[in-house]
Amino acid sequence: MPGKTGEINRMDRRDFIKTAGGLILTIGSGTYAFRILSATGASVSGADNPLIGKKWGMVINLDRCRSDCTACLDACRAENNVAYHGDDRWDLHWIRKVKLEGEIGHTKVEKSVPLLCNHCDNPPCAQVCPVQATYKRDDGIVIVDHHRCIGCRYCMIACPYNARQFNFKDDEAWPNKDHPKRSHGVAEACNLCAHRLDVGKMPACVEACRNSGAGAIMVGDLNDPESEVARITSTMAVKRIRADLGTEPKVYYLGL
Amino acid sequence: MDLKFDSIEGDSIQYRLMMIAFAVFAVAGFIATWSVIEKGLWVTGMNNRVPWGLQIVMAIYYIGLSAGSLVISGLYGVFGKQEYKPFARIAVYVAMLFLIAGLLSILTDQGRMDRVFVEPFVYFNLQSMFSINPILYIGHILICVIYLWALFYERKKLTTVIATVAFGWAFCVHSGTGAIFGFGARMLYESPLLPASFVAAAMASGTALMILMIVGLFRVTKRPLDDELIIWLGRFLAICLLVVVYFLFVENAYRAYVVELRDAAVYYLFGGLHSLLFWVGLILIGCFIPIFLLFYRKTGKTVRWIVFASALVVFGVMCERYVIVLPGLTHPPDLFPGMEITESVIQEGIVSYSLSFLEILQALGVFGVIGFLFGWGLKYLKLLPSEARVLNQTENIDVSPEEK
Repeated sequence: MPGKTGEINRMDRRDFIKTAGGLILTIGSGTYAFRILSATGASVSGADNPLIGKKWGMVINLDRCRSDCTACLDACRAENNVAYHGDDRWDLHWIRKVKLEGEIGHTKVEKSVPLLCNHCDNPPCAQVCPVQATYKRDDGIVIVDHHRCIGCRYCMIACPYNARQFNFKDDEAWPNKDHPKRSHGVAEACNLCAHRLDVGKMPACVEACRNSGAGAIMVGDLNDPESEVARITSTMAVKRIRADLGTEPKVYYLGL
Repeated sequence: MDLKFDSIEGDSIQYRLMMIAFAVFAVAGFIATWSVIEKGLWVTGMNNRVPWGLQIVMAIYYIGLSAGSLVISGLYGVFGKQEYKPFARIAVYVAMLFLIAGLLSILTDQGRMDRVFVEPFVYFNLQSMFSINPILYIGHILICVIYLWALFYERKKLTTVIATVAFGWAFCVHSGTGAIFGFGARMLYESPLLPASFVAAAMASGTALMILMIVGLFRVTKRPLDDELIIWLGRFLAICLLVVVYFLFVENAYRAYVVELRDAAVYYLFGGLHSLLFWVGLILIGCFIPIFLLFYRKTGKTVRWIVFASALVVFGVMCERYVIVLPGLTHPPDLFPGMEITESVIQEGIVSYSLSFLEILQALGVFGVIGFLFGWGLKYLKLLPSEARVLNQTENIDVSPEEK
């Protein structure tokens, strides 16, 4: 009962190698040509690059943060079109507040802590991103290219802070029309309002916190010794979350 | 010796029914995947705390089966065991199909499936296990194609070379897959042992599945098959299982011993449904019972019992894949050691996960696609030998005829 493979048998070995080799060469060289071309187009020399020399960092003073206040959360959602569905499994939160409880001796400690992307200097999310959609800018902001993200969610696995979230579904609301919203299928996290910092404005959460009268959140250039964040982080007892992991977070907490 | 390979007729009613069933599965999976593309991944039940689910479990399961099947073909190709030549073609073909299944599972799990074909190759990231692995997978498929070609055209030298390459490559493929988890930051993932234990489990599941398939195919198509061949594979399977148990023991002993991982270990071993899958599905059904059956003199030399043990292993390793992927996600990262998060807008502590109907449909779809390709291969490629017999030089294995 012979099958129909007789035809395949006639394929010449030379033809096979030629076709396979040609295919590999074409794909390989095409890919690298594309990479080199796109890289030269996008590169900015050091002198023109306003990002170089800056290193954005954040300080959150927990003694000034009120547990009942959600000004920063609301401002962030409105500014960045962060999707909200009313279901805690799929809601996105670039910044969220948690209540922490612990005991030191017999004293009960209770704190309200805003958590967000730590913009690590060694970001595990960027390390594992298979398409370099998540990357660290020269000024230290960890940001996602939503046009490149394939939605593999490996960054969410890698982030030790649960700071990364995924657009599991589309959101109808689009509060800030000046700013894009994301389709379902891509991951995201706080981008420190890079679009605002780039034009000299403070991130939405910082502004909202100041307007609420608390002024608990500060953002500034850690490389500039004159800046307030540099002054606080170098002279006061600040703490970073799980700094022991070696991720070098750039969000510092006062009073944690 | 002249061993004849042939395709099957494929005219029987059973064959047609099987192909129709596979096609129905594939269509169901396609519809489910289309709904994911349209509506978003939330329809699968995955969420921000459990971002990976059944498709990833199945992906690493298939990739394991693939690596394991390739090892069986290596018995002839690498180690020159002539008596296993009859299984070489089918083993390589199945290895290729399982890898395709793994890739399909990963593909259908992506948020933006449309970008998967370009971006990972253009913006390759050497630091990411997720970038390195597709290269390993695609290389594996290419090697399988060349390997099959060498086997079909009886190129002896090329077979030895490509079989050796494939053998080594299969190790890399599975170590790489293990590293996706083992090199990760989650408390229940992080383990340098994971790539190695992945390889062991892969070899066990691959061997078990090959035993099931070979015996099944030879019986159904009424081809002569000597029991000794299967008995030897059964022993090989038993040894693989011992290695799997050893790795599992070391890994969990470490977690239970190190203070910072102790809570996670307790959660892993006694924390819910996954613990049941671990103890009953993996340890008892997947390892201990098969090890006993395969080493016990009476059952270890009876093909029927070996087949039964293999079926248990195939199930057990699926449980293993589940308990690798999911407990690591449902267990939370420790953000504030020594303190507890008591209120939050997201689920911060231990969360639950359950399979959704849509995920199962997607998984069935992938199974349908490769099942269909398997059936197609049986009919149109010369995969099966006319017989599988023990050669003269190995006839001194001490198996008395009445035990067979």
